[in-house]
Amino acid sequence: MQELELSEIQGFLVRDYKEMPVSKYFLLQIGDASKAKRFIENISKKITTVVDKDEESFINIGFTGIGLSALGLHENNLRAFTREFREGMVTPHRQRLLGDHDSNDPSNWDWGGTKNEGIHLMLMVFNSTQENINTQTQQLRKEFVEYGLKEVFLLNGETFPEGREHFGFRESISQPAIIGSGVTGIQNDNIQPGEFLMGYKNEYNVYPDSPSLINEQGNINMLPDDPIEKGKKDLGRNGTYFVLRQLKEDVNGFWSFLNEKSKNEDGSFNHEESTKLAAKMMGRWPGGAPLVKFPDKDPGILTDDNDFVYTDTDRLGLKCPFGSHVRRTNPRDNFEETGPAESLQLTKKHRIMRRVRSYGEKYTASATQHTPVDEVGILFGCFNADINRQFEFIQYSWANYPKFKQLYADPDPFIGVKENPEPGVVQQFTIPTEAHNKYIDGLKSFVTVKGGAYFFFPSRTVVEYLSTI
Amino acid sequence: MISQNPLTLLTPVRQDCIEKLNEILERFKVGLNVGLNERFNKLGTLHYARWFILREDSFRDKTAFPLPERLVFSSNFDGGEDEHINGLVTIFPEYFDELYECCEGYPEPGMRNTETRKSYLSKWKVNTTAFYVGAPGRSLQQIKQEDTLQKYLWNIINKNNWDGKSALEIQKFLREKVNADPELAWSKESVNTPSTNWPGMILMVLIMIILLPIIIPWILILYFFYERRDTNCTATRSQLNDDLVRRLEADEDLFNQNQFTQVLVMKPGKVRLITVHALMLFARTLIKNFFVKGKLMGIPTIHFARWVLIDNDKHMMFFSNFDGSWNQYLCDFIDKSGWGLTGIFSNTVNFPETRFLFTGGAYDEEHFLAWSRGTQILTQVWYSAYHHLSIKNIVNNTLIRNELWKNLTEEQAQLFLKRI
Repeated sequence: MQELELSEIQGFLVRDYKEMPVSKYFLLQIGDASKAKRFIENISKKITTVVDKDEESFINIGFTGIGLSALGLHENNLRAFTREFREGMVTPHRQRLLGDHDSNDPSNWDWGGTKNEGIHLMLMVFNSTQENINTQTQQLRKEFVEYGLKEVFLLNGETFPEGREHFGFRESISQPAIIGSGVTGIQNDNIQPGEFLMGYKNEYNVYPDSPSLINEQGNINMLPDDPIEKGKKDLGRNGTYFVLRQLKEDVNGFWSFLNEKSKNEDGSFNHEESTKLAAKMMGRWPGGAPLVKFPDKDPGILTDDNDFVYTDTDRLGLKCPFGSHVRRTNPRDNFEETGPAESLQLTKKHRIMRRVRSYGEKYTASATQHTPVDEVGILFGCFNADINRQFEFIQYSWANYPKFKQLYADPDPFIGVKENPEPGVVQQFTIPTEAHNKYIDGLKSFVTVKGGAYFFFPSRTVVEYLSTI
Repeated sequence: MISQNPLTLLTPVRQDCIEKLNEILERFKVGLNVGLNERFNKLGTLHYARWFILREDSFRDKTAFPLPERLVFSSNFDGGEDEHINGLVTIFPEYFDELYECCEGYPEPGMRNTETRKSYLSKWKVNTTAFYVGAPGRSLQQIKQEDTLQKYLWNIINKNNWDGKSALEIQKFLREKVNADPELAWSKESVNTPSTNWPGMILMVLIMIILLPIIIPWILILYFFYERRDTNCTATRSQLNDDLVRRLEADEDLFNQNQFTQVLVMKPGKVRLITVHALMLFARTLIKNFFVKGKLMGIPTIHFARWVLIDNDKHMMFFSNFDGSWNQYLCDFIDKSGWGLTGIFSNTVNFPETRFLFTGGAYDEEHFLAWSRGTQILTQVWYSAYHHLSIKNIVNNTLIRNELWKNLTEEQAQLFLKRI
């Protein structure tokens, strides 16, 4: 087992901070690099690492590519980062991979898009009560002014009762467990640290691409040695990449659509069927119970059960459709071209550590109640060491790609549906039943991207190092 | 059963015409989205085609000798080669004229007719070293017909209520509907799809066993005297030329299919040459006898793939047409056929460090991905006759067609209906 330097790793990667239900993500711009470095030096002492569990509030920090540049990182040193990170979320090709068109187009975003101000760094704070975090915010804002940091945007996140997001589903159940991090999961969820952390070996048993220092700058004695390129210093070790996307949820649209599609023959609504259809699309009941274990009826329990596979229990997708969100974004042991053991190995190469908070009105929707007043949605976040092979792969090859497995025209019903498909293109959700397939066609998009960016989350030491460059 | 075949043309470009040729190719590329594709469709037998200019600097590594600029054309088509070339120059002679006027020795305007055009193109043909077909035996016409049938059946199932009906009853209903539609009469003729040639496979394994006393020392010699002295790719993806990768990405993921063109320099020496030829023979045998059901070494997304050794075996081109993203395609290669890929490509210059011909190499994920991207070149014009269909869809559609008319048990009928 690879030994992890837990006191170097920012805590949000390993712990979900569930004990801190309120959070604020400050998206900041650097006005004056030398002042900003002093701020970063102060923050580096307050960063919550994996081992810091007793603080009153948790603090983590991430940088964008343009942020590192604004801070004064040499061009050649920035160049050593992966292209996904350097280019950011908004490029024509990445828009195609992520499906950011029409209403999702970055020109319509509230932050991080083509018409918004550049984001340099993100300060994330987590606290136990709204009151505490407000006090903390006042203090922080004073510091932002003092150190020349402009608050470009503020995201307010919360974890809701029963951990449900606004559509009504319990969130973040299926998570990988990083081997050596102290968190353990079921066997199939235990993943090599190099899938999430630079400087450690990944599921291919090689080191992920990690930025080494090309041009010497700052106090390089603080930096660890590069494990591959001898004589070079490693900026990446114990660091990771964080993907953040603000996703607006059209709760009313979603449940109205399902209610319409599951009507009784006499035209009246059938809310039980509607909930069942929603569960088929998700792959779990709203409370989290997996469909492979409870295929017919909502057991009405709240659960984080992630201990299930598909090959033996549901090879034909009769319980949990192939096109459902959870089955396609984590196919577990069931690729048709490989056996269960090999499939599990393949799946392990495309996992992400999800870190999700809800924003907007505290509201849990259902088939019978689905009209929140304000804009609602989630702050979808995830950690990975290879944005291209993990987050982007899952979003494109498994969620957006309508030909996943043997399907013909089935995008992920939650996050893959195109708002304006090309003329004649069907978007459907296929539900295998014993005799034949049932199809829900005319799928609509109920999730809209409102902002997004890729961040580098350095180790605690590298955060401090950045204040010396 | 019709056979699908590859054609590769390598035509020297006139020195004064390179810029013009690039412009024409650019125009064709744009044209494919606005009408030109209909001309290609008209051919009725063309699955995929591509054009690009191959230059010395297309190769990331130093070529074996100076190379002239050449226009490369590659196609995947049904039936005979002569008929195919004939189709190309009769259906769109003006396009071929415009392109190949930029190449050396193209017939003067007064001398152009089907025959002179054909003989010109045929002159530049190069042999394909190994060729893989995802859906062997399926002509373009068959693929399109079966696509229509699948959509037709889907529509019936989607529009009707089947409560209380058994799968066999539904199958019967579908049959009656199709039977009543004369346009679908073709579907009643059952088609054969190739099956695994087990005797051939057993024979191959026996031959391999007999040859083991040669193969094992050969691999050891390779390791101790060649592989350990190789220089290898140690680049990561982040170190690649950004502009180059961006140019490649600009043409990717526009549809559900993509293409890949890679050009490589072979490692020098007879030992390497014999190795690669032996492996190509091995690949051809496996493709013909074993990989006949839509998967190339377990990879279920490849429509066509081709290896072409050129320039007296000094350089190699690899072409493929596949479903999904570049990343998924390359990850599939590592996960499912890393050893096979390593066996072949480790005989090219600068491949990631390989041991004993089949290990290391592609399994060195980061370096392998960087090597793949780094040796990929821009395909200037790419045509696909059916970019809305995955190879899984195509294989499945043939099964739907056959099973629709078969006498099935209730259980088999249930599986049949789940294909739709």
